[in-house]
Amino acid sequence: MLDLFDKIQESVEFIKSKWDGVPKAGIILGTGLGPLVQQIDVAVAINYEDIPNFPVSTAPSHQGRLVCGTLNGTPIVAMQGRMHMYEGYPLKEVTLPVRIMKALGAKTLMVSNACGGLNPNYACGDIMLIDDQINLMGDNPLIGINDDRLGVRFPDMSQPYCPKLIDSALTIARKEDIVAHKGVFVAVSGPNLETRAEYRFLRTIGCDVVGMSTVPEVIVAVHEEMNVVGFSVVTDMCLPDALKAADENEIIEIAKSAEPKLTKLIMGLLGQMA
Amino acid sequence: MNKSNLQRSAFQDSIKEAHQFIASRWNKRPRYGVILGTGSGEIADHIVAQEKIPYPDVPHLPESTAIGHKGQFVCGTLADQPVIAMQGRFHLYEGYPVDQSSLPVHIMAAMGVTDLFITNAAGGCQPHWNVGDVMMIHSHVDFMYRSTARMNSKTVHNRPLRRSDLYDRPRIEQAMSHARGEGFQLYRGNYASMLGPNYETRAEYRFLRKIGADAVGMSTVPEVAVAATYGMRIMAMSIITNVANPDQLVETSGHGVVDAGVVAAPKLRSLVENAINNDV
Repeated sequence: MLDLFDKIQESVEFIKSKWDGVPKAGIILGTGLGPLVQQIDVAVAINYEDIPNFPVSTAPSHQGRLVCGTLNGTPIVAMQGRMHMYEGYPLKEVTLPVRIMKALGAKTLMVSNACGGLNPNYACGDIMLIDDQINLMGDNPLIGINDDRLGVRFPDMSQPYCPKLIDSALTIARKEDIVAHKGVFVAVSGPNLETRAEYRFLRTIGCDVVGMSTVPEVIVAVHEEMNVVGFSVVTDMCLPDALKAADENEIIEIAKSAEPKLTKLIMGLLGQMA
Repeated sequence: MNKSNLQRSAFQDSIKEAHQFIASRWNKRPRYGVILGTGSGEIADHIVAQEKIPYPDVPHLPESTAIGHKGQFVCGTLADQPVIAMQGRFHLYEGYPVDQSSLPVHIMAAMGVTDLFITNAAGGCQPHWNVGDVMMIHSHVDFMYRSTARMNSKTVHNRPLRRSDLYDRPRIEQAMSHARGEGFQLYRGNYASMLGPNYETRAEYRFLRKIGADAVGMSTVPEVAVAATYGMRIMAMSIITNVANPDQLVETSGHGVVDAGVVAAPKLRSLVENAINNDV
């Protein structure tokens, strides 16, 4: 039952045989946000399928490479493309890369996603620092017998995202003249986008943006006692009374055009960690 | 025999085998069943035990892995009435399939239990509540996404689910009256069930309160769903082990949960004994 620990060791051993760096941060790049890796001083890039126990990303625009190197002077490991629940992966597999990052030495997790904006004060292309989250996926990556070597049975979630990192990121955003908000991210399983009624429901219960990822990874990062900072890039405004059909290509385009802003914020935070 | 018939038959066999095993150790037909949740295990000390049966000894039951749980059936008398109590339960966050986690309720039904008392530890969504308060559950909201209804409504037995009165109203009124007489605070409210195992975020507490939840926990609803299909009279109580005030949230830990349970256990025992002593 408790095979996760050994799997992590196996994956870490393999990655260490390719790269001897110790990352300070692990970065997960969501839909359309992969180009950030161009800024990385790459030591080695490993395809997911080559890493033992690593799940393989099948989502559109997700490259599926683990990029190891330095970014703005700080050693990091970055996932170019992630795994989603809607691809059919159990959440334990979806979140395994986070545990591997921690085992490699990363004490900070920087996670990003493309999301739908529910807060009418937001606009397409805006970035939201995730202050808090709601899990409506109907599943949890920590279900099963708890391995005390990895974390506690009942993780506290009163502050899943690090307030200091949020404040630092918002400060950098102001300096760079980037529109950045702070709000609540809700995760649903997908893969269909939400109905108008679901958008109204999610807004009513206090959500600012909605997406199909991030929450499982952050639960596991909290379980691993990592510092977490989360960036949601609003790629689609979901205003139920003026809703137009979502276009996947448009979403990816908006994510790509917003990506330089995300890069500035992440590089700024890493610069402070160097 | 098709697949679903095979599964039904296998599940009924496991109920039967588990029941037969317990009957071989303690051959009574208790009217009352008790499920003791996190931190309320001491209530079992007031049961005059005739037999204690650890879960791993019972065929088809898994071992409980939660903290504060001993994991055994306690068979004996409470308020001079035969009773079977579960000291420790099987949570969905431990990874058990929903039918296996609620197997003990099926076993209790097979033993003759018609009146079920359930306790749990829960987070209070009402900021004016206090740690150690007790809430009578008068309804619930299920956020576990693991229905027991499909299996139970057709494959085990053919009783319809009675959703309108899952929690026995006369017993709730009786308990409220008893608490007034004894001079302790007792609330009634809605219980929201979550998968867990992590505690809720501030945003989740705000959401749950907005939709009408008064307490939130990680158990009870699957057991209630099964008990209801047998037409059991259910009385369920939540110990408030932390009060969520999302605008000033403090950390929650499993050990704090156990401590709060110790404070509330005498109230629970009083409520359960009163219900047994004064049938309504």
